[in-house]
Amino acid sequence: MNGVLKGLLPFAVAIPLLWLAQFLTKDTPFLVILSLTVGVNITLAVSLNIVNGMTGQFSIGHAGFMAVGAYIAGVVSKMTSVYGISFLPEGVSDQVLYVVSLLAGASSAALFGFLVGLPSLRLKGDYLAIVTLGFGEIIRVFVQNTELFGKALGLSGVPQRTSLFSCFFVVVVVVVVARRIAASSHGRALLAIREDEVAAEAMGVNTTAYKVRAFVVASFFAGLAGGVFAHYQSIVAPSSFTYVKSMEIVVMVVAGGLGSTTGAIIAAVVLTLLPEALRSLFLNITGDGSIAQRVEQIRMPIYGLLLVIIMLVRPQGLFGTQEIWQVWPFRKRAKPASTTPGAP
Amino acid sequence: MSSAAPTGTGAGVSNNGGAATLLRVQDATMQFGGLTALTTFCLEVKAGDLQGLIGPNGAGKTTAFNVMTGVYRPTSGDIIVDGERVNGHLPHQVNRAGLARTFQNIRLFKDLSALDNIKVACLADDRPASSMFSRTRVNALRKQGNFVGARTLDAWGNYLDWWRALLTTSGFRADEERITERATRLLEVMGLQHRKDELARNLPYGEQRRLEISRALATSPKVLLLDEPAAGMNTREKSELMILIRKIRDDFKLGVLLIEHDMKLVMGICERITVLDHGETIASGTPAEVKNDKKVIEAYLGVESKELQA
Repeated sequence: MNGVLKGLLPFAVAIPLLWLAQFLTKDTPFLVILSLTVGVNITLAVSLNIVNGMTGQFSIGHAGFMAVGAYIAGVVSKMTSVYGISFLPEGVSDQVLYVVSLLAGASSAALFGFLVGLPSLRLKGDYLAIVTLGFGEIIRVFVQNTELFGKALGLSGVPQRTSLFSCFFVVVVVVVVARRIAASSHGRALLAIREDEVAAEAMGVNTTAYKVRAFVVASFFAGLAGGVFAHYQSIVAPSSFTYVKSMEIVVMVVAGGLGSTTGAIIAAVVLTLLPEALRSLFLNITGDGSIAQRVEQIRMPIYGLLLVIIMLVRPQGLFGTQEIWQVWPFRKRAKPASTTPGAP
Repeated sequence: MSSAAPTGTGAGVSNNGGAATLLRVQDATMQFGGLTALTTFCLEVKAGDLQGLIGPNGAGKTTAFNVMTGVYRPTSGDIIVDGERVNGHLPHQVNRAGLARTFQNIRLFKDLSALDNIKVACLADDRPASSMFSRTRVNALRKQGNFVGARTLDAWGNYLDWWRALLTTSGFRADEERITERATRLLEVMGLQHRKDELARNLPYGEQRRLEISRALATSPKVLLLDEPAAGMNTREKSELMILIRKIRDDFKLGVLLIEHDMKLVMGICERITVLDHGETIASGTPAEVKNDKKVIEAYLGVESKELQA
C-alpha cells in the first residue's frame, strides 16, 4: 500500500501547485486561453509519443481520436447540463458531469483506437499510417454530415468548464502514465518492438498485443485532450480536426525526439507558442497587421522548414530517445536510456 | 493435443539416452510455392544435448530454424517442444513453450543498453512464482491443453501488471529489482557485466554475439537454437565461444542446436550432427560418422567426375 501512496506522490505535489497557478492567472484570460491550448497540445504530443516514439509505429491520424473525444464529450456534456445532479450543489454537479463527459469521450476514443488498431497493428510495416490517415478523414467527414454533431457548423453551446487546473491535471496524468509505462516491463517491450520487431517476437513479446495496448492508451488520452478542448472552445467544429492538426502533433513528436516524453512536452510548448510569437514579431516589424494576420497561413510552411532543418541538423530530434535529465546538463558521454523503476 | 506426440522415426535420435526429449521435429516440410526448402526434416534434441546442423549455403538450415521457431508455418509435419505441439503458433508462443534463438545477422535492440536488452527478454518470467498469475501456472494450464484458460489467466495478469506499473506499487518495484538482478547475472555469465550501461550498438562484434545469446537465455529456454554464433569471429574467439556454449549447456541444463559453417569447429564440439543439402537430410550421426559419409563429402566437395556418371 505504501508503494501506491508513493505512486500517487506526483499528483499530491501537482494539485496544490495547479490550484496556485489557477489562482494567480485568474485575472489574465489571454494567458489562460494560451495555456489551455498549450496543455491540450502537450497531452496530444505526449500520448502520440507512446505510439510513434516508444513503439515505433507511425500513426498520423491523432486528430481523429481527438475529434471523437471532443464530440462525444461535448454531446454528453450538452445533454446532461440541462439536468444536473439534484442532490449536489450546482458547482459540484457541473464538475462531476464534466468529468463524466470527459471520460465518456476518452473511452469512446479508446474504443475506436482498439477497432482501428487491432486489424492494422497485426501487420508489420506502415499500414497503421495509411489506416489512421483514413480514419481521421472518415471521422471528420462523418461529423460534418451528422445532425447530432452540428454538421459543418460544428457543435455549439458546449458548457465552458475547462479550467487551468483540470487541463493541466490531465497533462500531469498523461505524463506520469507515459513515463511509468516507459519504466516498466511494458515500456521495455514497446521499445523492443521499435528496435526490432522480429527479434522482440522471438524473445517472447506478444507484439500485436503490446502495439494495440499502446495505441489504445494513446487514443484514450487523445480523446481526453479532445474533451478538454471542447469544454473551453465551447464550439467544436470539424475544421479543428483536419489532417493539418494531425501533422502538427506528429511534428511536435518528431521535433522533440521520437521516444522522449520531455522532448514532446517542450516541442509542444514551443510550437504552440511559435505562431503567437511570430504574430507579435511581424506586428512589430511592419507596424500594421497585414502579415501578422496571415500567421495561421504561413505556419505550415514554417513547420515544414523546421522539420527539414531538424532532419539536417539533428535527425534524432531535440533529445533523441532520451529524457531531458539524461542529456542535461550536457555530459561528456550521455548515459544511455535506462529503465530504472521509480522514475516519475 | 500435447500428449499425442508421435514417437520418433529413428532419424535424428539422440545418443543422450536417459534425458527427456525437449524438441522433436517430425517430418517437417516447408514449401514456398514450387520451391521445397525443407523436405521431411526430423530432429530430436534432449536436455544436455549439443547438436550441430550443417550444410552448404542455401541448404535450408535457417529455414529449418524459422520453421521450428514459428516464423514459418511448416507445410506439413510437427514441431513438438517439451510435449507441446507448436507448429502454427506465433514466434512469441513458441518462445514461451521453451525455444529461444539467436539470428544469423545479429538482431539486438540496438538503441537499448545491454542490460535493457536482456531485461526485455526477462518478460517470460517477470512474475514471482508465488503470484496467482505466475508463468508456471499459465504454462501448467497450457500443458493440460487448456489454452483458453491459460490465455485468460495471462491476460488478467497482464492487466494487473499495467496497473501495478502505473501506480508503482511495492510489488512492481520488487519485480523490477528481481528482473534487474537476473539480467545482471546473465550478463555476468557471458562476461559482459562491464558493458551493462553501454548501448548494444556500441559493443564490439564478438560481444554483440554473446549479448544475443544471453538475451536468448533470459527467456528461460529449454532448447537454445544458435544460428551461426561464431560467424565473423577469428579462430581464438571461436574456440572461446565454443567453450562458453558448452558451459551454458551444462549450467542451464538445456539442449543446444547450432548452425555453423566451420566444419572443424562443429566436429570438435557437437556430439551429434545433422547435414542438410537442398532441403534434404543427407546424413545424421556422430561427427566421425558424418565426416566419412559419402553424400556429405559430395555435398561439400562436389561429385567426382559428374559428367561420366551422367
